[in-house]
Amino acid sequence: MTVGGIDVGSVNTSVVVFNDGCILSQLVLGSDSTDSDPHRAIELALGAAGCDWSQLGPVVATGRGRSSVDFAQRQSSEVVCQARGALWVCPAARTVINLGGESSRVISLNGEGRVTSFVTNDKCAAGSGLFLESMAYLMEVPVAVMGTMALEAAVVEEVSSRCAVFAESEVISHIHRGVGKERILAGLHRAVADRILDLVSRVTVEPEVVVTGGVAKNVAVVKELETRLGYPVWLPPEPQVVGALGAALLARDDSGK
Amino acid sequence: MIDNLRRLRRERHQEARAWKERTGGKVVGVFCCDVPEELIYAAGMLPVRLLGAHEEATEGNLHFPTNVCPYPTSCLDQALKGRYDYLDGVIVPNVCDMVRAMYGAWKLNVGIPYLYFLEVPQRIGPRGVEFFAEMLGRFRSSLEELSGNTMSDASLRQAIDVYNRNRELLRQAYDLRKTGLISGVELQEMVLSSMLMPKEAHNQLMSECLEEASQRNPAGDGVRLLVSASMLDDTDFFQLIEECGGQVVADDMPTGSRYFFHSVDSEAEPLHALAQRHLAEIPCPRKMLPGARLQYVDETMADADVQGAIIHNLKACDCHLYEYPYLREMLEAKGLPVLFFRGEETEAELETQRDDIEAFIEMIRG
Repeated sequence: MTVGGIDVGSVNTSVVVFNDGCILSQLVLGSDSTDSDPHRAIELALGAAGCDWSQLGPVVATGRGRSSVDFAQRQSSEVVCQARGALWVCPAARTVINLGGESSRVISLNGEGRVTSFVTNDKCAAGSGLFLESMAYLMEVPVAVMGTMALEAAVVEEVSSRCAVFAESEVISHIHRGVGKERILAGLHRAVADRILDLVSRVTVEPEVVVTGGVAKNVAVVKELETRLGYPVWLPPEPQVVGALGAALLARDDSGK
Repeated sequence: MIDNLRRLRRERHQEARAWKERTGGKVVGVFCCDVPEELIYAAGMLPVRLLGAHEEATEGNLHFPTNVCPYPTSCLDQALKGRYDYLDGVIVPNVCDMVRAMYGAWKLNVGIPYLYFLEVPQRIGPRGVEFFAEMLGRFRSSLEELSGNTMSDASLRQAIDVYNRNRELLRQAYDLRKTGLISGVELQEMVLSSMLMPKEAHNQLMSECLEEASQRNPAGDGVRLLVSASMLDDTDFFQLIEECGGQVVADDMPTGSRYFFHSVDSEAEPLHALAQRHLAEIPCPRKMLPGARLQYVDETMADADVQGAIIHNLKACDCHLYEYPYLREMLEAKGLPVLFFRGEETEAELETQRDDIEAFIEMIRG
């Protein structure tokens, strides 16, 4: 049976259409796109899979905006969906670091793949994906290349990791002093990694560590995490759809197939 | 049941004003469980627990920085907004830095005619109890002066009996909650209303509630949870847990079991018995005796089949945060998953807590 998972996040909406052990289609739509409306998003994903509504079985919704998905048979938390999706892409996963637009969380799994504990970031913006986006905007650097640029720096310019507002004023000061963008970006990424590692320190972390969410696409954050953890992390082919994939797998369980 | 209990809490200020008008008596606000309300009751006055609110402390925050425990600031905020204008007195026990600071803050900024600073010793052994009993003797005299009534030992013993009866009824409700006949929210409404209204009336109300509960069918297939909290002064957090599929079956908090778990020895000399119960038996972390607290938490979970624990500590409540690692370790050693929140007494925090509670409950269900 064809089933669906939809992850309505604070920044992006992701959809996975799944059947017979395979992902038929997957989409990530920005919140600024009219296509990110849950109805429209799943229609697009169904179209890409060569299906229509009549062929779609159960749908499970997750993400901050999951209650807005009126066609979903049920909702599930991000923790459970991220864990489930991460296990599908990496069956040996014992830790999931999910780095979204507003929320970051670290999830511990036991040997049977069950969630045993998790921590979520507090309401502070420092360390979030949106913080990286706003810094990219401030420095007039495309989000997609900011990580690569940061890795080019020979020296890291220190940026506060404690507060997004103070970090912004520090960045502006560095720009005014003529510090190179690469050096500032390296400092920013280290600051973001500091916040993530604060969370990591609050749960048991064991390899394999799977990193998911939009921030997982940032090579500098991932490299900093690997350096500080002391071992490589596992990156899914499309880190932004892992939550939607987990939701689709729950929908598959519900359908009994 | 729940509507009446909730009304009594929500309309507590009107209820207290109406009591004053009806009886001509005085209403005295108290902070914390360490103040023996029996003395206020025996003097013919109405003790009411001071509660904060989930709202921005726009007035309170003018007097204290935001990096302190928000509960006392919230109470002060409510007073500065005029919601406690009917109080004839306030009792400030020496229990922690922020509550202690309330003495000066209320004296300087709130027009309360009577403020009493009750010394509560840090030493918990027999000498501490002896000292506290002596402090209660002075407190008794001061209350006699405030009320204009003499407090006989007989009236004090009668007060202890009324309060013990209330504790017994609340303990019965606590046991019924474990069976699903009473919900977590209902029990918390019972405790909060007990702290706010005359005890005989509350005893009557409790008897009716227990009778009503015994007619029900056990409800609830929710995930069975222990809640340990530094201060929850309304039922919103419990409501949230229930909405997310949880069922609170045990608790460790000042507005919960700590208020009624231990009775006062009605055979002993009254002041000494009150000192013993309030100083030595309530396992508040301000006493810095984690062992006793952990044993107490264990007792609160007896026969409750707890599946997980939520610890809710208000930010900067140093006493509770000091014991948090010990408590977490003890619970996890029992195989219980633990979810921790740092509370802030704001309206907005509940929605962010919802996501984590839903995930926690889903995690336990597996």
